[in-house]
Amino acid sequence: MNHCFEVDGVEYQLWLSRCREDYRLCLHDRVIAPVAFSHRGDGCGVVIIAGESQPVRFAIDGDTVHVHINGETRSLHYRDPLRTLARSKQETSQAVARAPMPGVVIVTRVSPGQAVSVGTPLMTIESMKLETIIRSPQDGIVDRIHFKQGESFEQDAVLVTLLEERT
Amino acid sequence: MHELPFDTVLIANRGEIAVRIIKTLRKLGLRSAIVHHDIDARTLAVSMADAAIAIDGPTPIAAYLDIPQIIAAARQASAGALHPGYGFLSENAKFARAVTSAGITFIGPSPENIELMGDKIRARNFVQQHGFPVVPCAIEEDDPTTFVRRARAMGSPLLVKPSVSGGGKGMQIVRDVGVLEDAIAQARSEAQRYFGDGRLYVERHIENPRHIEVQVLGDAFGNVAHLFERECSIQRRFQKVIEEAPASGLSSELRQRICDTAVGIARAANYHSAGTVEFLLGGGEFHFLEMNTRLQVEHPVTEMITGVDLVAEQIHIAAGRPLGLAQSDVVPSGHAIEARLCAEAPERGYAPTTGKVLVLDYPGGEGIRIDSGLSRGQKITTAFDPLLAKIIVHAPSRIETAQKAHRAMRDLVLLGCTTNASFLARILADDGFLHGQIHTGYLEEHPHIAAGDPRADLSAFLAAGALLTGPVRESADAVSELHAALGSWRN
Repeated sequence: MNHCFEVDGVEYQLWLSRCREDYRLCLHDRVIAPVAFSHRGDGCGVVIIAGESQPVRFAIDGDTVHVHINGETRSLHYRDPLRTLARSKQETSQAVARAPMPGVVIVTRVSPGQAVSVGTPLMTIESMKLETIIRSPQDGIVDRIHFKQGESFEQDAVLVTLLEERT
Repeated sequence: MHELPFDTVLIANRGEIAVRIIKTLRKLGLRSAIVHHDIDARTLAVSMADAAIAIDGPTPIAAYLDIPQIIAAARQASAGALHPGYGFLSENAKFARAVTSAGITFIGPSPENIELMGDKIRARNFVQQHGFPVVPCAIEEDDPTTFVRRARAMGSPLLVKPSVSGGGKGMQIVRDVGVLEDAIAQARSEAQRYFGDGRLYVERHIENPRHIEVQVLGDAFGNVAHLFERECSIQRRFQKVIEEAPASGLSSELRQRICDTAVGIARAANYHSAGTVEFLLGGGEFHFLEMNTRLQVEHPVTEMITGVDLVAEQIHIAAGRPLGLAQSDVVPSGHAIEARLCAEAPERGYAPTTGKVLVLDYPGGEGIRIDSGLSRGQKITTAFDPLLAKIIVHAPSRIETAQKAHRAMRDLVLLGCTTNASFLARILADDGFLHGQIHTGYLEEHPHIAAGDPRADLSAFLAAGALLTGPVRESADAVSELHAALGSWRN
């Protein structure tokens, strides 16, 4: 699944996936593997990137990760694709889970009428031969599931519509 | 026992300079009291002081400028003396008088000293009358009707300056005399807005000069000594970024002349306390720029090469003691560089930054001194100027000092607020800087130093960020075992 970090006003799209015991990082024009992170406690750790280990100091503050590596510091602001999309597309009484990229529905995990919370897995999609979990952007009730298993969709397509939960 | 006529000193300041003053007070066996606005209640300076008195105002800065409140706080703390630090009321003659009138010792020069040197036009005239070199200039109050004509007659480039100023506010370089009148109008408006005094003068602008200043100490017994010079040529918008002592590549003859001139000016002004005489050096000649009648931000580089505690000297002089040293006792050793760590982003036009100190690790080791008022958890706001801390490094030679300072800046970790640490490191590794080819326009001439490398490889940062961000890692972990085993690719 595509994720986005904003660093110094520039947005970086990336994709993280499993790669044996570690991970693979896809930046827009590069694939870096393996990547891994080992914690050393109290905001210290080691990032392993393409076989090279670098000591890291870090601090997490909400959606921002402050990272110090090799004398340089960067603040990475995570831009949650679901929240961003939900914010920009939300109607007054509805929230939608949109497709962060074109793909195919592998499995739906909820049914219409079901109450969900922020982060509840709604469906698993496949895109670029990678699976991504689509999570609920907010608390609510599943109103409509727009695509069945095996159906394909385009980027930004509404996958699931939620209704605000009535109290 | 300290055997001074007071045992408690009120610090009318905040941040790193307050912490630095407290350290010397402790060394001398004196109690420290500090005033603080609520925004500073949980800062290091307040926690270190023996007593803390809250002050208030319409803005945090206004609180620190409130003379009656500060005098009342000094009384409340039973302070026999007051140290103003730098900035705020440190060069305010009215404040120095109010402190003295309240029966409290002002740790600084006399109000007369402050009045004479605080007004740049008056100071300039005084220095010129005593036969010391000043930059050619036209002063408005000599004859307002002919001011612009006289200024224009000097030929470009010109520098329009307010009589009362600081931090480069209201200063304008004019390269085309055709726009001089507009520049004067703009400078006047800025000076009036910032300092409440719109008087101006126009100097012949020396292109790319070096900023050389001399630390002086004077006592009530007629003793005046210099502690050699500092160079503060690395500036941006007339604000110092990196300072060092001694200045690089000065001949011993020129160094002696500059230092003797500074002593001569301080002696002529009957100056008591620590002060700094600033000069511009260009084309092998130096001219008086101004005198600062307070402790300077960059005083630690002088302390590092001379071993003299300038705050202790200020206290002894204010207590009516003679200087604790003779000129022959001042023997400089090695080289010192100070880098000003600021909450700003040079890569974005030095935009101020805010945040909260989440991680703070300063470099350490022999010859490294940190003057800081920061502590973990502290909020960094735009209420005050952006200076957070000073990293001061001492080593036997200039090149070793620069290399050590560069390593120190790279080792410094402050997370939670963007700082200029990388920018400072870039300066310290810059070839021109290392070769001493510096002048006050150096950073403008080399914009790539502030800009950094926009194409820098951020993959390690992004990898760390991705692996430390729950949703990113979880979405990767959610991929089936089978996919993971296949490297997530389906064939």
